[in-house]
Amino acid sequence: MASTLPPKPTPEHSTATAGGMAEAGHARPRGLMRWLLTTNHKEIGSLYLIFSLTMFFIGGIFALVVRAELFQPGLQLVQPEFFNQMTTMHGLIMVFGAIMPAFVGLANWMVPLQIGAPDMALPRLNNFSFWLLPVAFTLLLSTLLMPGGGPNFGWTFYAPLSTTYAPPSTTFFILSLHIAGISSILGAINIIATILNLRAPGMRMMDMPLFVWTWLITAFLLIAVMPVLAGVITMMLMDINFGTSFFNAAGGGDPVLFQHLFWFFGHPEVYIMILPAFGIVSAIIPTFSRKRLFGYASMVYATAAIAILSFLVWAHHMFVVGLPLVAELFFMYTTMLIAVPTGVKVFNWVATMFRGSISFEPPMLFALAFVVQFTVGGFSGLMLAISPADFQYHDTYFVVAHFHYVLVPGALFAILAGAYYWLPKWTGHYPHLRLSQWHFWLSVIGVNLTFFPMHFSGLAGMPRRIPDYALQFADFNVASSLGAFLFGASQLLFVLVIIKCVRGGEKAPAKAWEGAEDLEWSVPSPAPLHTFETPPDFHPHRQH
Amino acid sequence: MRTLLVWMAGGLASAALTPIALANGWNMPVGVTAVSRDIYSLHMIIFWICVVIGVIVFGAMFYSLFRYRHSRGAKAATFHEHTSVEVIWTAIPLLILVGMAVPATATLKNMYDTSEADLDIMVTGQQWRWRYEYLGEEVAFTSNLGTPREQISGADEKGEHYLLEVDEPLVLPVGQKVRLLLTSDDVIHSWWVPDLAVKQDAIPGFVNENWVRIEEPGIYRGQCAELCGKDHAFMPVVVEAVEQERFDEWLVERKEAAAQEAQGVDREWGMDELMERGEQVYGSVCASCHQPDGTGNPPAFPALAGNQALLDEPERHISTVIDGVSGSAMPAFRNTLNAVEIAAVVTYERNAWGNESGDSVQPSEIAELLEQDE
Amino acid sequence: MWQAIKSVLAAFLGVQKDARRREDFASNRPGTFIAAGLLMGVVFVVLVALVAVLAAR
Repeated sequence: MASTLPPKPTPEHSTATAGGMAEAGHARPRGLMRWLLTTNHKEIGSLYLIFSLTMFFIGGIFALVVRAELFQPGLQLVQPEFFNQMTTMHGLIMVFGAIMPAFVGLANWMVPLQIGAPDMALPRLNNFSFWLLPVAFTLLLSTLLMPGGGPNFGWTFYAPLSTTYAPPSTTFFILSLHIAGISSILGAINIIATILNLRAPGMRMMDMPLFVWTWLITAFLLIAVMPVLAGVITMMLMDINFGTSFFNAAGGGDPVLFQHLFWFFGHPEVYIMILPAFGIVSAIIPTFSRKRLFGYASMVYATAAIAILSFLVWAHHMFVVGLPLVAELFFMYTTMLIAVPTGVKVFNWVATMFRGSISFEPPMLFALAFVVQFTVGGFSGLMLAISPADFQYHDTYFVVAHFHYVLVPGALFAILAGAYYWLPKWTGHYPHLRLSQWHFWLSVIGVNLTFFPMHFSGLAGMPRRIPDYALQFADFNVASSLGAFLFGASQLLFVLVIIKCVRGGEKAPAKAWEGAEDLEWSVPSPAPLHTFETPPDFHPHRQH
Repeated sequence: MRTLLVWMAGGLASAALTPIALANGWNMPVGVTAVSRDIYSLHMIIFWICVVIGVIVFGAMFYSLFRYRHSRGAKAATFHEHTSVEVIWTAIPLLILVGMAVPATATLKNMYDTSEADLDIMVTGQQWRWRYEYLGEEVAFTSNLGTPREQISGADEKGEHYLLEVDEPLVLPVGQKVRLLLTSDDVIHSWWVPDLAVKQDAIPGFVNENWVRIEEPGIYRGQCAELCGKDHAFMPVVVEAVEQERFDEWLVERKEAAAQEAQGVDREWGMDELMERGEQVYGSVCASCHQPDGTGNPPAFPALAGNQALLDEPERHISTVIDGVSGSAMPAFRNTLNAVEIAAVVTYERNAWGNESGDSVQPSEIAELLEQDE
Repeated sequence: MWQAIKSVLAAFLGVQKDARRREDFASNRPGTFIAAGLLMGVVFVVLVALVAVLAAR
């Protein structure tokens, strides 16, 4: 497989390489058209990353509206209707608009560079799958301005609250999710095609960097579950507009069916948002420990095991809907088992650091924070797996704390770590050290001040998705709200770091980090628009 | 500095001895049933397992970070695999989990055993209140949020049980096995009382079962746990557990009151009486959607004040209240309100906020309608 | 096939000897491994389900 030919040169490839006549015939579009029509994996990668950063701030503002209302008991700033729209939109935007596109953007930039490919396998499809996203999210955000408001039923949109009792804009919400879903599927197909076909000669599967491996497995997960999401929202569409009763008990439908379908998509979706993070961290920790990743093969196996198990645990989100006892036990056991491969990953990272030669550049800081805080999220996940205890935890702030630990100081920190790690490759400059450190420490403090007290408010009995709460939860919420504003504000530093880094700064050599080993460090910094037009000579540094 | 303090306080409290943690309201309540105690101990066991694993893993990690710093001139080793170590750290978590699964399974089986109950209660979720029906006792009532709106908006000072108080609590006898049958009239709700360790979804078209045997008399508070629309935060659950004797007395009182209310159906009601009663019913049942001043919240919740269709068609007004509007958020109040309450609230809606139709609806008319349809 | 099943079981645990892995990846028949993987996946689900059924009694 690895010896497959590089792709046929597209017209744009020939303009860049051949020059002369070709250049006259196919002038590169400039300005806006350049970005609209680009098929270059680096440009599309940048578009994805910029889009995701924009969505991150929009979703963040929604979160701050929520936190501002929850600062004190009572209704002060917004009414419950609008509060519910904010929690819902925050979740949808962060999951589908910020975290997922960020990983796709990193994959666009780094997968071809890490496997020595000249571009993605399907560059035009790549352009299309990106430009679907702004369409989808403009549509989604526009629902906030429609009569009756935007989606207000939580990002999990349980029927019948999201069908019979939903605002009229729900049809547009369904359409926008469809478009975003198509984008994800196309992106996943492209990534699989690239990884399987365009590896440098001599690079076998077990020579691939872990970021490539985790993305390969993630892409298969996406292709497997996105159609399920498409199916379930189509059923909603039919219930709302065409008089069917898939989820309407009055018509003989089944509201619980919705949850089974949603979580059959939703649980693998959770791993879609964390597996590439494992890949990033598995690149950064060895680099700054100046030591090879411990247990490379078991990391690959563990990723695959997590992916497979992710299809067998969906009903642990439904422990209190009244499942039969056998189902309850089955899903409790499988969920507990998923902790084993996840634990293996954490042990491997620690073993990589053990007897290494460790330095603490900004990417490493974020990666280390990822390991600790993701593990905290993993621990609460293990607690949630215990079905009887879940009867107390379910739908409380304990769950909110759990999944935010996995997704914010988890997935998001890994994305930030990746950004700091590869910024020298993207821009040719190192990110400003002092600012990066300030960004890191303020983020760590903010994120923990926000989410750690949520464990306590949840255990003390505060349900999630409420705009107002009883007085005994007040202190925890003050801390969470202060932390949220600190965390939100400190992300502005990140924007500043990026702008400064694009404009200038300390020049980075091709191999920007001393311990970095993968192929992307063999091309100049900043990476020229076209790289690896002739496949590199790949010598596996892992002696398999 | 404050951050550090909160962090340290958090860490300490969670690691502190159980009673201290409890006193501060930082931890899961132990509760007042055998099941809630079992769950609490499962929770603490798995918590301590996590703490121990965390100390080992993070300890190893921070030791490495400190000991093998590049700046201290550490030279990296070259090992990158160790099969037996990998086997060990895969096998040990596996064994711990098996050990954890055994007591969890036993507790779960106990929770699922709803057989041989002494008392059956039907719990029905409605946007946004709970309805309780004592099966076989002919006692049924709805339980609405008891906190005044002024406290929510901040006009009044908030009371001790802000948002966790109701007009009529669910009264249960202690020491008896009470089976809860849960369902919903509209969207999915979830009935939760932390001290009883009962959380069960109420789903339209399904009847879920759970059970509770309360050991100590007292008042136990909880709330709806599943997002159910705009007033999700405002449908609390309050359970008053009393001794068996007190419970029997209470049942008799309830039955007498119901009989008295039934007599009221037959007599002629005056306009003022109906308006007064109607305002009360409207405030507890209708105002959350149609607003206290009848302006509603279109398009989901139409305005009642100045609503010409409502003024023109009194029959449809009555049937809407009795049977609801299918496919919309308007529920049927047939089983929630009695004839007096429906008559009063319809009269109120037809005459309040400048509607001034002058119509009054008599409870006897409504009773007739209710009987016809049954 | 037996060889493939053993490798798949090792993959389930996430631990494999280096030599064996090299041997597996030298083989040019991924079909066998995919089949073994699917088979063992089904066996795994049935096994957990069986434990659940027994435990529920």
